[in-house]
Amino acid sequence: MKTQSFYAKRIQPLVFMALVTVACILVTAALHLSTLERVQINEQFFLWRSVLDAAAISHDGQPESVAALFADMAKTEGNQYTVQAPDGSTRYVVEITGPGLWGPITIMAGFEEDLKTLAGISIVSQSETPGLGARIEERWFTSQFAGKQGPFRLVEEGTADAPEEIDAITGATITSESVRNIMNRVIAESGNISRGQ
Amino acid sequence: MAAGMIKKTFLAPLGKDNPVFVQILGICSTLAVTNKLENTMVMTLGVMFTTALSSWTLSVMRKWIPSRIRMMVETMIIATYVIIVDIALKAFYPEMWKQLGPYVGLIITNCIVMGRIEAFALQNKPMLSLVDGLASGMGYAYVLLVIAFFRELLGTGTLWGYQILGSWWTNWSIMIMPPGGFFMLAIFIWIVREAVFKEGTK
Repeated sequence: MKTQSFYAKRIQPLVFMALVTVACILVTAALHLSTLERVQINEQFFLWRSVLDAAAISHDGQPESVAALFADMAKTEGNQYTVQAPDGSTRYVVEITGPGLWGPITIMAGFEEDLKTLAGISIVSQSETPGLGARIEERWFTSQFAGKQGPFRLVEEGTADAPEEIDAITGATITSESVRNIMNRVIAESGNISRGQ
Repeated sequence: MAAGMIKKTFLAPLGKDNPVFVQILGICSTLAVTNKLENTMVMTLGVMFTTALSSWTLSVMRKWIPSRIRMMVETMIIATYVIIVDIALKAFYPEMWKQLGPYVGLIITNCIVMGRIEAFALQNKPMLSLVDGLASGMGYAYVLLVIAFFRELLGTGTLWGYQILGSWWTNWSIMIMPPGGFFMLAIFIWIVREAVFKEGTK
């Protein structure tokens, strides 16, 4: 058997691998940079939408109208958002993160002017079980918190009637408890929200 | 190139050489993404794109790849295509990208992709490898879609997010959890091997 030259055995594979790597990086980097603006717009849209949802401002879910509504009504002050509702009242939206079953759950909680009553909540990000825990994103679940003051208590799905009771999600006990804990924490801390000037 | 060869290459992964129920490859993602039909569809399209194009690319390069580093090159090419899928979803289909989370990136580790490259693309011409990669992706896709159909229907009473079964239906929560994937996959493999391949009677 012919022995391979030093070049073929050692140098050529290195050069080949380096060239392939550079080519792959060029392709992916170009694609990443060319879509960067779009990705940022998407993230911005998700953030604005969850602030509006938490402040109970109705919108049609279209990126343009969400951007227009946010620019019109909301102000960002540090890590909280102040939203001027159409009825003249001011609502305060804060972001809070806590542990879920598989990963952190981030919630936007909107408070009325008294800083006690919830205007609404929206789920910013979660990684719960699809179809079970992930149902915390569904409207029937998040809308349960609107107009209530807490602290909350979980009851079986479909049986909540007192103001402090929240329907848990069947099959997602730990996720429901996590959301309850996060909500009770944000309610306990809501007095610290600054009303601004 | 004979048309018969292309046809044979195309049909094998759909039937008697199916990557999922014959070769038992790519099982991990079968369990992870099949609890909703829509997610499964996007995921399988990503796998089809990756298997087809990485097989084609590596087949084009096969004469120049030094054999001792071929696996590094394969992984690099596969990863590039997967990142393309990930970036495309992130930019143009962000809601779906958020739902699929890490699973798109995990296409890199799907054994079907590298398996077809090692077993087929390195020995065959680019066009034939493209057909083989695409067909393997499709063979994977239809099995997952069948499983997802039953898991979503029985688990949540919906299909593609639309309510199908009425309020009389009690959701089988087990179906949308990972064990449901195991059960459905096992039942699927059993039915196919028993009814189609007649293994029990041989």
